Amino acid sequence: MIRLAIVAVCFVALSGAIVGRMVYVNINDRDFLQEQGDLRTIRLERINAHRGMIRDRLGKPLAISSPVVSLWANPNELLSSSSDLNQLATMLKVDPEEFADRLENSRSRSFVYLRRHMPPPEAEKILSLSLPGLYSEKEYHRFYPAGEVAAHLVGVTNIDDRGQEGVELAFDQWLTGVPGKKKVLKNLYGDIVADIMPVADAVPGRDIELAMDLRLQYLAYRELKAAIQRHEAQSGSIIVLDVASGSVLAMANQPSYNPNNRQRLDIATVRNRAVTDAFEPGSTLKPFTVAVALESGSHHPLSRIDTSPGFVRVDDKTIPDPRDMGELNLGDILAHSSQVGISKLALTLDPFAVRDLLADVGIGQIPGSGFPGESQGYLPNHRRWTDIERATLAYGYGVTTTPLQLANAYLAIARGGVRKQITLLAEEQTSTIRVMSEQTASQLTRMLAKVVSDGTGGQAHIQGYTVAGKTGTVRKLGESGYEDTRHLAFFAGFAPVQDPELVAVVMINDPAGDANGGGSVAAPVFGSVMSGAMRILKVAPDQQVAMSKGGGDAHG
Amino acid sequence: MATESAVMPMQERCPVDMLTLACVCVLLAVGVLLVASASSEISAREYGNTLYLVARHIVFVGLSVSLGFLTLMIPLDLWQRSGWLLVLMSYLVLVAVLVPGIGKEVNGSMRWIPLGFFSLQGSEFVKLMMIMFVASYLTVPEHRERALGFAKALAAIVGVVALLLLQPDLGSAVVVFSAYFGVMFLSGVPLRFLLPVIVASVASLAVLILIAPYRLERILAFFDPWKHQYEGGYQLTQALIAFGRGDWFGMGVGNSIQKLFFLPEAHTDFVYSILVEELGLLSAIIVLLVFMVLVLRALWIAYIAFQRSMTFHGLVACGIALLIGIQALINMGVNVGALPTKGLTLPLLSFGGNSLLATMMMIAVLLRVEYELRDGASSIAQVAKRRRRTENAS
Repeated sequence: MIRLAIVAVCFVALSGAIVGRMVYVNINDRDFLQEQGDLRTIRLERINAHRGMIRDRLGKPLAISSPVVSLWANPNELLSSSSDLNQLATMLKVDPEEFADRLENSRSRSFVYLRRHMPPPEAEKILSLSLPGLYSEKEYHRFYPAGEVAAHLVGVTNIDDRGQEGVELAFDQWLTGVPGKKKVLKNLYGDIVADIMPVADAVPGRDIELAMDLRLQYLAYRELKAAIQRHEAQSGSIIVLDVASGSVLAMANQPSYNPNNRQRLDIATVRNRAVTDAFEPGSTLKPFTVAVALESGSHHPLSRIDTSPGFVRVDDKTIPDPRDMGELNLGDILAHSSQVGISKLALTLDPFAVRDLLADVGIGQIPGSGFPGESQGYLPNHRRWTDIERATLAYGYGVTTTPLQLANAYLAIARGGVRKQITLLAEEQTSTIRVMSEQTASQLTRMLAKVVSDGTGGQAHIQGYTVAGKTGTVRKLGESGYEDTRHLAFFAGFAPVQDPELVAVVMINDPAGDANGGGSVAAPVFGSVMSGAMRILKVAPDQQVAMSKGGGDAHG
Repeated sequence: MATESAVMPMQERCPVDMLTLACVCVLLAVGVLLVASASSEISAREYGNTLYLVARHIVFVGLSVSLGFLTLMIPLDLWQRSGWLLVLMSYLVLVAVLVPGIGKEVNGSMRWIPLGFFSLQGSEFVKLMMIMFVASYLTVPEHRERALGFAKALAAIVGVVALLLLQPDLGSAVVVFSAYFGVMFLSGVPLRFLLPVIVASVASLAVLILIAPYRLERILAFFDPWKHQYEGGYQLTQALIAFGRGDWFGMGVGNSIQKLFFLPEAHTDFVYSILVEELGLLSAIIVLLVFMVLVLRALWIAYIAFQRSMTFHGLVACGIALLIGIQALINMGVNVGALPTKGLTLPLLSFGGNSLLATMMMIAVLLRVEYELRDGASSIAQVAKRRRRTENAS
């Protein structure tokens, strides 16, 4: 009986010891244990923020984010759960065998995307299989309603919702919201069991209103594309600026791409050539040499330059005109785009003054529109100018500029000699600076109007409106110097002449066939876009009668 | 009829011990509640139905109660006379589980014989059968007082322990050895026989731990679980976190976080931790007290039996008290980190058909012992015994 008592006492003592241990753990270690527990179960979960919208100046959407669901898996869990992977593969619309292989190969990882950016109802259907190891994440998918038409300016985001190109990249920070955080309770497999509390709400990104007018953008894109196809050209760009605000109303390039489907993307189509590609602008630069001549005081619009016998030797180079045009005044030099005339004129001028004016209107300067990858172009800055350097600069060789820079330079003329900083945004006020006298600008404008009414730019003419502008036909630089058969066709100008509303630059690269000049290839595009734009913007016509003299083929 | 029932003695109307029964009912009820909560997540994940495992558990509660009723019908006398037969059956079962093709390997251990609907865990039933053998063998005074007799009993026990270690199942081996040793101690085996056994068994335990790296890892983890939490200490740290969360009054039924797969075996070996997490430390202490009441009641029944010189009855009650008590204490000790982690169920509470069936059989045997101690019942038993003896003599 003593032994029985001993056993009973042992039991009671051991029970007491266990109770004691439990009470000790509870009192002594409770806080530590609770903290350890929280460390293992409470997680901060990211709440993706909604990316701001991009809209045109009238509020039309250019880039929209819509909620989508991305499915991901923990391959090991999914594979070891012996669930029906074939069914899952079928629902994901992938080959079951490939799918199984892919999972098998990534067994060592704990996170593999199965499919990203699915429409929520479709993802819901798959999630309702409630397979272990299958998870979802709420994300946003970017959709571009204007597609390829506005692709270059608007740009694109990558699948992680970060801006990669264009405005999406330039204003990424502005558009991107701040992701929120919430405290959640997760089980061992990372499933969220309960939301505990939001730590920080997601701050949605802000919208951007571009200066672009989608109607003009469509028009410009359509006309450019048609011209590129008609002339079997390599590429092309068009820019339309609002004179008053200096903002970009339209900016299109060919070739373009579909930002909504980038599966077979040719990287060459992504570039916003109007901003990134610098070319020799050729004759479109001539008006600025004329402007320097007018500013210098030693010339006036009717000053005459003898271009006989149709060529001039400068240093050891011969600069030809297509024919002997005899004596020309400054306006005629522009209207007929005489190389000889502008070269002779340039040699009477201070080369530094010409260069400075070009720099003042933005040639060789970063345009500062904020667009990513803006090209600076090249403006020579010689300490001593040889005659041939002075002559070539006057007719736009040995210097490079992007279509955007060229448009900016013509904007200065259209604004009466005041350069204005270009902007992509609807409501940005930009700085201005006077670069030539008002008188010079208006004299130049009248000359440029004659280019369209009487000269090489005839096809830029539009019904009911006066147009000022300048053609440019540039021989492309090939492997062995300038080529005879490959050209860049330019037209830069503005309308209406008296009170300019719009500036536009058209550049067509390497048109095939006989028509390859600025006057025959670029000017018609300018004309049709401007004519449509005037109507869309309801600009009052300043000309009653249509009078068109078919301009000759541009040269030089 | 009415008059007849009126004159029937109290114990006739209440044929089993109410206190034992009450303890068992409380433990079974708490068990169902905890298994329902602790197994819900794993049921959902593995079987697609949150109630799958608790439904199984309830089915086994029903089966074990039925088995208990059947066992209650068996006179102790029958068990007593089957001593060596039970040893034979125990060895057969324990050998069978080790035979590939009959036994099934789970997590590196050969413990189960698959029977379709469920897998039979032989060792659970061997516990009871061997108790019956040890008790009946030691009832004979020469067996416990002479060296040879004691050695025979010891050999039978060591054989069982060895077979358990082959599975390997150190936990069960420790439980059965301690319980049988306790029965030998209580039967009055001289201390000069017992002391060498204690020394030898402690030494072999130490060797067994040292030769198995995973056991050593668990021991090390036991001393500093937080340092070894990604090795042997993982379960223990998760169990302790449950203790920390539960505090005195618990997080409420169904609110356990550890059952979200953090604590492995939440519904089986570590159900006690979930008890603390959901119902609090006070409830856990109450459950421990209920176990103690059950064990002490069994010892009390043994005391009465010894007083009436019904040695076999007494030793059986002792054995059952020791088996249930030791296993419960080890399980709780493991849960609270007072003992190194061992895979042992908490009797009557944990999920697990074998453990439930075997434990309910033990409870039924205990109730039968108490029943046969009653004046009327024991006289009937003695009459039957006497009759058999005379039959044998003639």
